[in-house]
Amino acid sequence: MNRGQAGAGRACLLTGATGFLGSHILAGLLKQGERVVVVGRPAGRESLAARIRRLLRWFAIEHLEEQLESHEADFLKPGLGLGADEYERLRRLGLPIIHCASDTRFAERDRGTVLAANVGSLAEILDFARRSRARRFYFLSSAYAAGIDNSECPEAPVRSLHFNNVYEESKALAESRVLAACAQEGIPCTIVRPAIVYGDARTGRSLKFNALYHPVRSLLQLRDIYIGDIRKNNGKKSAEWGIHLDAAGVLHMPLRIVIPNEGKINLIPVDYFTAAFLAILERPGGETFFHITSRRPAGMAQLAAFSGRFLGLAGIEVVVGAARADEMKNPPEELFDLFIRAYRPYIADQRVFARENTDRATGGSLPPDFSYEIFQKCMAFAVAADWGKKLF
Amino acid sequence: MDEVLRTAKSCRHYAMCKIDFLGSGLCRSGAERHYVSFYPQGRMDLYAALAEDRVPVTPACVEIAESCDLCGLCDYQCYFVTEMKPTAVMRALKEHVRTYLENGGKALAAEKDVVLDGLKEIVGDAWATNDRAVTLTYSHDPCPVAEPRMPGYVVLPGSTAEVAAVVKLLNGHRVPYAVRGNGSSVMGFVMSAGAVIDLGRMRTIEFDEKNWLVRVGPGVAAFDLQKAALQRGLRVNVAEPAALVCANIMCSGIFSTFSASYGTAADNYVDAEFVGPDGGVFRLSEPTAPNLFGFRREDAPLPGICTSASVRLHPVTADEDAVFVPFSSLAGALDFARECAMRRIGLAIGVLGGEYISTFLSPTAKLAVEVKSVFRDKLKIEFLVLVIGDAYALAAVKKMGFPGFDSRLIRILNLGLPALASARWLDLINELADEKEFSYLELPHFADLAEAALAPSPAQLVRDVDPELRPFFEKLYERPELTDPLWLNMFRIVSARMGREKHVLAMIIYLPIDNRLIAEIDSGFRRIAEGHGLKNDFGFITPLDNGKRCVFEYDYYLDQNDEDEKARMRQALKEAGMMIEAIAAASGTVTWIRHVFRQGFSRKESFLYSGGGAGA
Repeated sequence: MNRGQAGAGRACLLTGATGFLGSHILAGLLKQGERVVVVGRPAGRESLAARIRRLLRWFAIEHLEEQLESHEADFLKPGLGLGADEYERLRRLGLPIIHCASDTRFAERDRGTVLAANVGSLAEILDFARRSRARRFYFLSSAYAAGIDNSECPEAPVRSLHFNNVYEESKALAESRVLAACAQEGIPCTIVRPAIVYGDARTGRSLKFNALYHPVRSLLQLRDIYIGDIRKNNGKKSAEWGIHLDAAGVLHMPLRIVIPNEGKINLIPVDYFTAAFLAILERPGGETFFHITSRRPAGMAQLAAFSGRFLGLAGIEVVVGAARADEMKNPPEELFDLFIRAYRPYIADQRVFARENTDRATGGSLPPDFSYEIFQKCMAFAVAADWGKKLF
Repeated sequence: MDEVLRTAKSCRHYAMCKIDFLGSGLCRSGAERHYVSFYPQGRMDLYAALAEDRVPVTPACVEIAESCDLCGLCDYQCYFVTEMKPTAVMRALKEHVRTYLENGGKALAAEKDVVLDGLKEIVGDAWATNDRAVTLTYSHDPCPVAEPRMPGYVVLPGSTAEVAAVVKLLNGHRVPYAVRGNGSSVMGFVMSAGAVIDLGRMRTIEFDEKNWLVRVGPGVAAFDLQKAALQRGLRVNVAEPAALVCANIMCSGIFSTFSASYGTAADNYVDAEFVGPDGGVFRLSEPTAPNLFGFRREDAPLPGICTSASVRLHPVTADEDAVFVPFSSLAGALDFARECAMRRIGLAIGVLGGEYISTFLSPTAKLAVEVKSVFRDKLKIEFLVLVIGDAYALAAVKKMGFPGFDSRLIRILNLGLPALASARWLDLINELADEKEFSYLELPHFADLAEAALAPSPAQLVRDVDPELRPFFEKLYERPELTDPLWLNMFRIVSARMGREKHVLAMIIYLPIDNRLIAEIDSGFRRIAEGHGLKNDFGFITPLDNGKRCVFEYDYYLDQNDEDEKARMRQALKEAGMMIEAIAAASGTVTWIRHVFRQGFSRKESFLYSGGGAGA
């Protein structure tokens, strides 16, 4: 074992515990009886401890609160923004570090903050790892740090020089910093790269509603705009674009989603991600890179069909090929296209992720195929949670 | 305080009931008698004074009460601006006077005196009075730094000759006087313990199109002049609709978003006629006239009474339109506005704050709050830069790469405001990770989408308006000009809504479009107001002189009936004044409106570039 004996008495230091994946890792560790030292930020007036407590309630594991301690920190400040005594005490613990904290925004205009959060902040955390002689450094990256130079993505250091966005780029850069620092200090290092993570495949529960959820939510909003127009305004605007509601209550809304190729969307449920991550934690040293990805990713046509069925929408058509420059889009197409623009690289993705290391760590356990049943459960939860507004 | 008295005491004195800005007609007695006392504004003041036993029932009081026919027109006008319904006050006034008389009360006539006799001899019996029911309505305004002063006389001359004679008479009797337009400056400057000269009767408008000017009497309001100009396919640069043009030039030189191209101060007129402090008449174009083109950096005395101004006329082209360009930061908005001004793009340019746009567009305060939150929190719009121009100018804005809300979209948003406040799809706009801010505005069919989503209609816009007034407002908003940003900027009838929730006190300064300096002053105003617990917000900025300077308005808000708040406001204004003076002295480029007041006929260059201290 690389982190000491499993079960009670084992401990680690975790960052990003209030994020989507970090919180699931936290819950998984606590359920295994581990002690977790959480280091992270307050949010506005809400303290880190309060944020964590809220999450524990969501996971229904408030009774495990005694297993954790939280420390408010700022990774961009010297000494992680901790008090000198606090820093010293944590350093002396010499815990393995699981670094999940991350800024997941894609936009180029956020480049500065994304790079600061995902790369700049590493300096202090890696320095802490060095000073504390951390037993291991686990870094939560992304499968998409692989970049776009090659469609075959091995569980190996990133070789790409080109990326879809600043998020991918920042993760690749961060990986190289982590690898270099850990090699220099002799700290064993593990880099975990998940694909696109959605809610729990068994319950549909989720804490975050971007990625997979975003196009569905976009379609829902478009549907509601035109149903509103039909019901309240006699469908004046809908009729102009051939949009109508049939007797069965299905909205016919012509909407072509043009994708450049038959690429895939690599989706994994968060329950699978958590189990795989915890299994990787148990893995004795050796492999460094782990892809928590799907071998049988979904396709956009499948996702469009699921969305139409779930939302009572007809007319969604996935078209493969380049959009004609002179082709006029209708208003819902324009807005949908805008809403999903940032996600475009991921809905027709050509990248294939090797996962031999993960297979070994998980005993060959694979994520479930993305079925309508899973989709329905996840989206029903998302709607009930009002896409995150009514989570707690 | 009961509701009727509260309404009476909440009149903002913006004089909007003295112009027919909704096309619904004017208070008949006001239009006949001209004294402010016979308008709803005056009756509000009079009722409050009677209810608080500050004035007796007088003959004029009886006449003022009885001349109101409770037509309800003032409800339309006042509700449009402040959401108040003055008719209840008018009714209470009539009831008060009727009960008093029925109970045997006598109307207490003022004593005649020699000054009044002299004034009446000049202007006629009807146009001079010392009746306290009338003088009371000229005795105060909501300005927190001005103490009420009950004038001995109110006189309404009908000609320049009468003004001159009145001035000579008052001088002869050593009676001080204040000159008043509509009093809508609300800065406490139009009160006097002696006499108030109300110029409201002098309403001549004479167009001289061959010379691109219009001669206006001092009783002509901005709204009426603009309306007359537009009927001839022309435009004038005017400010608040109820402000009287001559008085407005005197007070501020007149600035508006159109000042970006039309200028301010002496740019606005060709010539002007004055009655001097000695009662002599002069025209500015005369070689021997006093020099009003210069500027003294001090609180200047009144140089004379402007009795006529030849105001510049400007051409209008059929392709003029407006666009609102959104920004998430003041710096971005300033950069864009400066760029437009330097390149001479657009006729009117204004950097508007969130409070402005939401308050202007919303018929109720509640909706304005919701809309402001949508603009700021969901659409991430902190500032909007308005550009009005011809097709070439608007094409240039587009070419500069800034997406904006065009007139059609503004109309859709305006008539669909209540739906906008609850629109779920805006959450997705808010979460857009697009590289370019506000890229949704570049979608060719975004207006179509907005129309489908918001179902804009006059009925929807006014759905939360007082049910009694809703039919009127629904019909009102069917008129295209009420949602036309070009028309609204020319006539500015919605700007008075700034005072809907509370009376607004505008801090106005002239300075370079220097992002750092403006940010410093902006945060200084904010810090001072917040230190005193006062509502405050950025108002607007308009470039002047090709972007070399700008006029910047920052607003403080006051509950005029809250004595504690008034005391805090006085302190805040004092601190704000000190801040401006200090910055002016240090920068050498900042001028305060306080010094321009009464010097508005000067050349703009005289105060924009004359320096404030170190740089002078």
